[in-house]
Amino acid sequence: MPDMAMTLVEKILARSCGREKVVPDEIVDLNVDLAMTHDALGAHTAAKFEQLGAENVWDPSKVVVILDHYVPNKDVDTAKKCQNIRRFVQKYGIQHYYEVGRGGICHQVLLENGHVLPGMVVVGTDSHTTTAGAAGAFAAGIGVDEMAVVLKSGKVWERVPNTILVEIDGTLAFPLSSKDLILWILSKLGVSGALFATIQFTGTTVSHLSVDSRITLTNMAIEAGATNGIIEPDEKTLDYLKNATGEIPNCVHGDPDAHFARRISINTEDIKEPLVAAPPSPANVVPVGRVEGTHIDQAFVGSCTNGRLEDLQIAERIIRGRRVHSDTRLIVIPASQRIYEAACEQGLLASFVRAGAAVSTPTCGPCMESHMGVLGPGEVSIATSNRNFPGRAGDPTSEIYLASPATVAASAVEGQITNPKRFLGK
Amino acid sequence: MIIKGKVWKFGADIDTDELFAGRHLMGGDETNAEAYQEFISGSGLSQARNRSNVPDGFLENVRRGDIIVAEENFGIGSSRQQAAETLKFKGIAAVVADSVHRIFFRNFWNLGCPALDVPGISKGFSTGQEIQIDFGSAKIRNCTTGEQFDYHLCVPPWFMNMLKAGGLIPYHRSMNR
Repeated sequence: MPDMAMTLVEKILARSCGREKVVPDEIVDLNVDLAMTHDALGAHTAAKFEQLGAENVWDPSKVVVILDHYVPNKDVDTAKKCQNIRRFVQKYGIQHYYEVGRGGICHQVLLENGHVLPGMVVVGTDSHTTTAGAAGAFAAGIGVDEMAVVLKSGKVWERVPNTILVEIDGTLAFPLSSKDLILWILSKLGVSGALFATIQFTGTTVSHLSVDSRITLTNMAIEAGATNGIIEPDEKTLDYLKNATGEIPNCVHGDPDAHFARRISINTEDIKEPLVAAPPSPANVVPVGRVEGTHIDQAFVGSCTNGRLEDLQIAERIIRGRRVHSDTRLIVIPASQRIYEAACEQGLLASFVRAGAAVSTPTCGPCMESHMGVLGPGEVSIATSNRNFPGRAGDPTSEIYLASPATVAASAVEGQITNPKRFLGK
Repeated sequence: MIIKGKVWKFGADIDTDELFAGRHLMGGDETNAEAYQEFISGSGLSQARNRSNVPDGFLENVRRGDIIVAEENFGIGSSRQQAAETLKFKGIAAVVADSVHRIFFRNFWNLGCPALDVPGISKGFSTGQEIQIDFGSAKIRNCTTGEQFDYHLCVPPWFMNMLKAGGLIPYHRSMNR
């Protein structure tokens, strides 16, 4: 009898393609449970769908369309793309559409509204679709031609990924957060360490993290080149999803004797101070002390990586009663309308505004060069977002340092890269 | 099927922001094939100039049918298919790299352009040499030095038919008929 034990991802993929067992590097045809597109590639997807000559979307109840990258629209080009998307949504009866002011960043919207459930196969026209793995789903990015085919057929092929098990143990106390943790993991894996692989995050540290914090881990799995990132659902996941859907979903779990291509053990005690990914890559990670004092022109708290309520709470704790440094500017963007509302009610936004920050409605914003917070030649930014490739957020000579909300907020106050530890207890 | 072309040797970690900057994503009319191609060709690779992982003179001198040979992790980053389209519309016939990022790999094939991940291949080539890819025998040859490499592709069985059809959309259209 062959070895039937499977990892979590192998189980999800086996179920989706209707086989008893799948093995890494095998090619499988998956039935898609959820397909997502947004304003950056939605109009492109719609054009490709029309080219296919399809008459219907395979299942309009399984498609989610969200406007997030360029909203509210900045010019006629972006407005036209959004018009095309709305026409597409209407024409094919797409059941889940999130308009400006009612949604937020797609990855956050999928999770907080309960679109993603454990065991699902999720595809999106966005590389950070990996984020949804925090709910125990297989979630991966695809291009627009493939999305057009998914919308027509409900099917997508996949090369079954190897599973890299990252076991994380130890406490993670302020000012450290899950952002420092994923940067530490990226420094071990590098930007190509997980190509055609799943990163499965586990261990006591992950169990202790809130679901919001876990989302930061799966979000940046793609930065190691991974096909997807995933976390086994537990009580916290179920509470989160019950809150989002009103029901307790069924879970899929990996077998205890499953084979992992690689195991990496992380002890959080080895992370001595907050971490920063210096330009030009998310894996170019250094302790904050190595770059402390670097002047910053802009600081950004937000994005699908770190725009959740607890991120805003941490940043606000540091900003409260202080001012953004006169030589820099701070942009704060809640990741979704729900978070925006909660941050309003808790007085967080007022605190940011009083400190001299620019607070915006939910959008991807300055994470990439899209419609706001664009960096000029030679400008330096510190951001809670996920990528710092040259030119990612503006002029090719601009530079981005990636860090946690605590480090970014502390740096905004000082006008230079700063260890948030100095703000402890003040 | 055999393709042959002049090599442009790229470095590691060519990212999608480099291939197609975010500022151009909302431009171009995808419903007008010719205008779209012109837009992508004109705006793509805009940030690649002066990058150490891109060979000198590439933007100015790339010709239709040329082939990129690269080090690890070609195409890391975004889902944006424009990153693959910009290479296709500049005339790149294939990308052969030590490793290729998953989304770029799929996007390039879907446009009817092969991407091959062949560990260690980059050491066997330099810019200006001639490369031949024989899909029938799964062999890559450096026609300048005579060196030969085997490759193994992890793709669905219908991929070569898709390549012959000119990409994913034409392949599906042909199946509808």
